[in-house]
Amino acid sequence: MPPFLQFVIRRLFYSLLSLIVITMVLYAGIMLTPPEARARLYLSPGKGGDRASEQYIQSIIDSNHLDEPFLIQYMFWVKSLLSGSWGYSPTLHSEVLPSLLHRTPATLELAICSLLLLIPLGLAGGLLSGWRPNGVFDGIFRALAFLGTSVPAFILAMVLLSIFYIKLGWFPPGRLDVTTELDMTRSGFVEYTGALLLDSLLNRRLDIFLIGLRHLAMPVFTLGIYHWATLGRITRSTVLNERGRDYITSARARGVRETRLIWRHALRAVLAPALTTIVLSAASIATGVFVIEIIYNLAGISQVIVIAMHSSPDAPAALGFAVYSVVMVLGLMMILDVIQALVDPRVRDEVLKA
Amino acid sequence: MKPVHYFFSRWQNWLGLVIVLIFTVVSLAAPLLSPPNKTTQGAFKKVGRSSDLRPHPPSAEAPLGTLPGQLDVYHALIWGTREAMIFGMFVALGAFVFGVFFGTISGYVGGIVNSLMMRIADAFLTFPALAGVVFLQQLVAVTIESLGGTFWFNSDYHGRVVDFQFTPPPFAVFLLKVDPILISLILFSWMPVARLVNTLVVTLKNADFIQATRALGGSSPWIIWRHLIPNAISPAIVLAARDVGSSVILQATITFIGLGGSSAWGLLLSLGRNWVIGPGGSLFTTWWVFVPATLAITLFGIGWNLLGDGLSDMLDPRRMK
Repeated sequence: MPPFLQFVIRRLFYSLLSLIVITMVLYAGIMLTPPEARARLYLSPGKGGDRASEQYIQSIIDSNHLDEPFLIQYMFWVKSLLSGSWGYSPTLHSEVLPSLLHRTPATLELAICSLLLLIPLGLAGGLLSGWRPNGVFDGIFRALAFLGTSVPAFILAMVLLSIFYIKLGWFPPGRLDVTTELDMTRSGFVEYTGALLLDSLLNRRLDIFLIGLRHLAMPVFTLGIYHWATLGRITRSTVLNERGRDYITSARARGVRETRLIWRHALRAVLAPALTTIVLSAASIATGVFVIEIIYNLAGISQVIVIAMHSSPDAPAALGFAVYSVVMVLGLMMILDVIQALVDPRVRDEVLKA
Repeated sequence: MKPVHYFFSRWQNWLGLVIVLIFTVVSLAAPLLSPPNKTTQGAFKKVGRSSDLRPHPPSAEAPLGTLPGQLDVYHALIWGTREAMIFGMFVALGAFVFGVFFGTISGYVGGIVNSLMMRIADAFLTFPALAGVVFLQQLVAVTIESLGGTFWFNSDYHGRVVDFQFTPPPFAVFLLKVDPILISLILFSWMPVARLVNTLVVTLKNADFIQATRALGGSSPWIIWRHLIPNAISPAIVLAARDVGSSVILQATITFIGLGGSSAWGLLLSLGRNWVIGPGGSLFTTWWVFVPATLAITLFGIGWNLLGDGLSDMLDPRRMK
């Protein structure tokens, strides 16, 4: 087996282990409630809420083994998760898994756009500012990074919305406006992936692509700025340590040009710690994505919890959302880890040649 | 340079300390700075008719103006400081105690138990806090319903509505007193502390002085309590200090987006969010609606972060060289 595949499989195994631990913790949380409450996770459509009779609840308890010990219950629950029955959500009026799945492209679109912008910009900002500390660029960068990490994202979002939407009308919230949606249905717009930017390119509709960008601009900016600043700061402090190292000095003595020194030699050294920061903050990025989605009214997966927290209790939706978001975070971590393994020479040698 | 001298030689540390001290004084002196009256509800005080939905500019009665519904901004700001301070301290303390406990035990036992326990900590790192906050609140709601009550989330920033047709059982009363946001934020911020303490304990436990204590007959709890924890605790305090700021900001965020929580600062912003652009289209016509709360939240975060950075520089062993 090629070593790279081995690495990916090992990484997958660790993700799976984390998933098992976290679902166990989640189910342990559920186990704290009495069996009658747990049975509400399994209510089928039309029989929810107060109308569920005691007999019906008892039959659910029996058929789902809800009065057995923890591990047995957990196994049955995992089995139902794997078979795709994540429960019925009374507030969404639909099954949990499909309603999460069809909202996923919007969430991914936002997350991927932000990451694709913030990682290169964070690396570049940190590199340039750390390379010449106390220079003009360094000053500007540090001020921006300080602001970026201090102003909470939700306040920034509120102010940006007020200025750029209410006052100037440049960047509207939501995924699409009604007229565009009507135009799309009329002109036979095919939804290949559900991600608007990709679909509009596949449909060769540049106008819709631009409209999609307009809707994404503010969310991407608000989401990206905090993590851009954190990433930039880490990069900067790594560069500060690296730029005095022997290999940089000797490369300079060999006559390597300064730009090449920064973008080749120093960049490679900072990639690993920078990506590790992103991997470790994957969960907080996910929380950020959800918050931004809710404020800008992008119909991503966080819509599920907004609806679930609106009126009567809806535990299946919350549980499904929790499991689903952990899977997404694990996926993000895994992808970043593989990227890191591919770009970091130290890890790559270990992975590819071991 | 002595650590303390080093700490006070940098203006950033001074700034952090001063900000945190000001917030502490304000939260302690809240009853003096803005005495509550009979219209007060939580951190909010009415200074006019609640049917009046225009925010009024600062006056003698309301030094920082009013929100729509004539809620006093100044009063909410002062009492919100007190609530935020208490909330942040509790989260930081909870995460700190649990993290130190978890990390020390797992590091001391070592071996397979250690790697298993650290795997659990890693697994918690993959959990988005927002999902946990929602999940815990739903668990409480379902439990209340199964105890015979009626539970209703209220997204209009009025908090939840719970109704029992009979005297609520003691367990339900207890559940309603616990803040689910507080618990879930503790549950999702102890891992960095645990990992840090764990690394320190693993390296420390084979140090000569620990071996000596063991040879002299020191029991495991004694070694952990008397030697390991005191040696591993100071870096953990730094992490906890940063937690105070970040957890208050997260609480305000959760309140602002209407997913529960009772952060007065978050409520201030959410009640005033339609007035950020005031009449006439200028950003600062009704500045008092959002500027005070924004400054409070931002400064609170900055203060605790600066203090944490300063403490971590001060305790950094590499600096001593």
